Amino acid sequence: MAQLREKKFSSNKLIRTRRGREIIAIYSLLTALIIISSLISPDFRTPRNAVNILRQAVLLGIVSTGQTLVILTRGLDLSVGSTISLGACLTSGIMLGRGELILPVFLLVLLIGTVIGAGNGLIVTRLKVPPFIATLGMMSIVQGSLLLYTKRAIGWVPTSFLFFADGQIGFVPFPVLFYALLFLAFFIFLKKTTFGRYIYATGGNEEIARLSGIQTRFVVLITYSLSGFLAALAGLFLASRLAMGDPLGGEGYELNSIAAVLVGGTSLAGGRGGLGGTLAGVLIMTVVGNILNLMNVPGFWQWIVKGLIIIGAVSVYRKID
Amino acid sequence: MGEETGDIILEMKNISKSFPGVQALRNASFYCRKGEVKALVGENGAGKSTLMKILAGVYQPDEGEMILKGKKVQFNNPRDAQKSGISIIYQEGSLLPYLGVAENIFLGREPRKKLTFIDSSALYREAEKLLNKLEIEIDLTAPVYNLNLAQQQMIEIAKALSLNAELIIMDEPSAALTTQELDRLFQIIHSLKNQGVTVIYISHRIEEIFHIADRVTVLKDGKVVSTTSIKEIDGEILIRQMVGRDIDGRFPAKGGVEKKKGLSVVGLSCRGVLHDINLEVRKGEIVGLAGLVGSGRTELARAIFGVRCPDKGEIHLDGRKIKVKSPRDAINSGIGLVTEDRKKDGLILGVSVKKNITLPSLNRLTKMGLVSEKRERRWVKKIIQELDIRTPSMNQQVEYLSGGNQQKVSLAKWLITESDVIIFDEPTRGIDVGAKFEIYNLILDLARRGKAILMISSELPEILGMSDRILVMREGKIVGELLPQDATEEKIISLATGLIKNS
Repeated sequence: MAQLREKKFSSNKLIRTRRGREIIAIYSLLTALIIISSLISPDFRTPRNAVNILRQAVLLGIVSTGQTLVILTRGLDLSVGSTISLGACLTSGIMLGRGELILPVFLLVLLIGTVIGAGNGLIVTRLKVPPFIATLGMMSIVQGSLLLYTKRAIGWVPTSFLFFADGQIGFVPFPVLFYALLFLAFFIFLKKTTFGRYIYATGGNEEIARLSGIQTRFVVLITYSLSGFLAALAGLFLASRLAMGDPLGGEGYELNSIAAVLVGGTSLAGGRGGLGGTLAGVLIMTVVGNILNLMNVPGFWQWIVKGLIIIGAVSVYRKID
Repeated sequence: MGEETGDIILEMKNISKSFPGVQALRNASFYCRKGEVKALVGENGAGKSTLMKILAGVYQPDEGEMILKGKKVQFNNPRDAQKSGISIIYQEGSLLPYLGVAENIFLGREPRKKLTFIDSSALYREAEKLLNKLEIEIDLTAPVYNLNLAQQQMIEIAKALSLNAELIIMDEPSAALTTQELDRLFQIIHSLKNQGVTVIYISHRIEEIFHIADRVTVLKDGKVVSTTSIKEIDGEILIRQMVGRDIDGRFPAKGGVEKKKGLSVVGLSCRGVLHDINLEVRKGEIVGLAGLVGSGRTELARAIFGVRCPDKGEIHLDGRKIKVKSPRDAINSGIGLVTEDRKKDGLILGVSVKKNITLPSLNRLTKMGLVSEKRERRWVKKIIQELDIRTPSMNQQVEYLSGGNQQKVSLAKWLITESDVIIFDEPTRGIDVGAKFEIYNLILDLARRGKAILMISSELPEILGMSDRILVMREGKIVGELLPQDATEEKIISLATGLIKNS
């Protein structure tokens, strides 16, 4: 039993567990990227750019948080991109610059996102449609409905709403602070709450989780609802950043968020991974985009580099396994 | 038919094989004559499957030799055995469900035209020839998943014939068949015999063997006990040869049973699986549930635990009727289930010992939604000490633990939920002998502490040694109740196989 006590040293635990080694690998990659980028680009190593990167990371960070929860249950949410676009267009389209509508619209958009997510959850748990297909269908439905509503950029937001994406508290950008708090809340939710354990257990083995008394369908429903909620939140943020809504503004975030989650070491097989890795995944994706931009590398190269990183990272995790 | 005529086609001499911790076969010798049906019987773990897997090239023997048609042979893999004319047909088919019958028979050996295109007409012609030979009528284009198990087995037999098999091993082919399907299988076996094919038939069902076999070999503890012509032996002797062993004194003694009611099940039915089940387990009592694989034991456990909803019937706990619609209801009422297959539905392998243990009881460890980790560690530490679970740390992933320790972890799950009723489904499957007795002691200790225990097991010594009462299931019904002092392995097997109608 002496052995039991000895294991409390957390540094030890980090190397010894698979998850610990994954975390080490992913943060090493992030650090290496930052060091290399700093060496090759003077523009990169300015404090201003650092703040910029964090600011740019917020949108992907918010969506990837929800995506992580869903993937942990062995699911997938392809509808987040169109939900972001919908959220952004509704925000600007309804607000039309009226400051008094900020709060009601904020709540309405979050509600709609949650309902979309719950729809995904119900389709997956009740109709037994595989997550890929369920959310692919939902993506199409949401995008189609949005294009019926508007085919071009729409509306405008009141100036005070711009604070969400552009505000500053002291020298910290408000969105970065906001994301930090959001991340922390979900990190604790996943690691410390009973429900967080249930998410891992459901993804690890749904049958065992059910036999252990967990209402797995409810757990899955909640994760999709949260993913929809967070996608809508990202839509609000996007509207604030662009000052208007673009019906294709969220395009690509479904795959980018999945990529960030996978690079962060969360397994598509469910039950393994977490938000700590996702944060690194989000930052890696953002840093890559940033440095290639600074070096005037054409955008298509970014796709190629990101693709290599996804494949490389996941193959490293396979090795660790 | 059953006479000692015909050339000896196969001889296995002094075969020994051991696996880590088990001597599966000791100097087993076995032979077959051309065109006979040779039955191979024995208890679970007697070594039947190991012997047959050696013959089929799946395992290699540690010692001994095999002689096929007068020549010494050595099979390094199943393909070698196949080439020499030996095919094995497993209980669960190895067919591809979405391919057609003909495609399955010739999978990987399709007749070709030029440019490697499949010659469909030749494929169907050949398949039809084979099926005609066996007098089987099945649509050759039908996808296999549309067929019942018996038809699938027949296709496997046809496949074996297409490989020019002279010796076909059937490993418990009857386990999942209905009576009519079984008759059909017997017809096919007869027709194989007439074509000079030798069949080795493994079965638990004694009456079948008298129906189909020419001779029977009994294996026990990895040794061959006897080989007899079927005409010179009767069921009783056969069963005695299979089990005949002294098991007294191997199991620790246990105190008495309390009078208080624990679990009772009244008139439980699930269509096609369970029929009017009535049983009672008192506090402090261990009720052993015996029966063949597929007799409905696991289904009964799962119905009590709310995994599948019964169509009819009631469950009572401490004399009160309870509603069990889901495992969650069962757990909240104080029922625990230690499942049969730890890896499939017992433990989440990639998760730590600690988190596995507390999974069913997390709500009691929760304060305002947060897991109280200090208390969790304290509970887990206590139970690890209590059960002597050998793990370097409570944070160790369970997949790295030995089978016995994994089983202790699944037990620990239900101990800390403080279940009043614990159902064990094959509690010692896949566990080495030393760990088995630790598990026995733990189960007995639970009974002493007043838990009501229902223990499903295929190991008869375990059932006899542990139970205060023994129930035997067959075809979804409880067909007999025995007290341990009156019970013998022979009686249980007779009830489970239907050789005796009732006690």
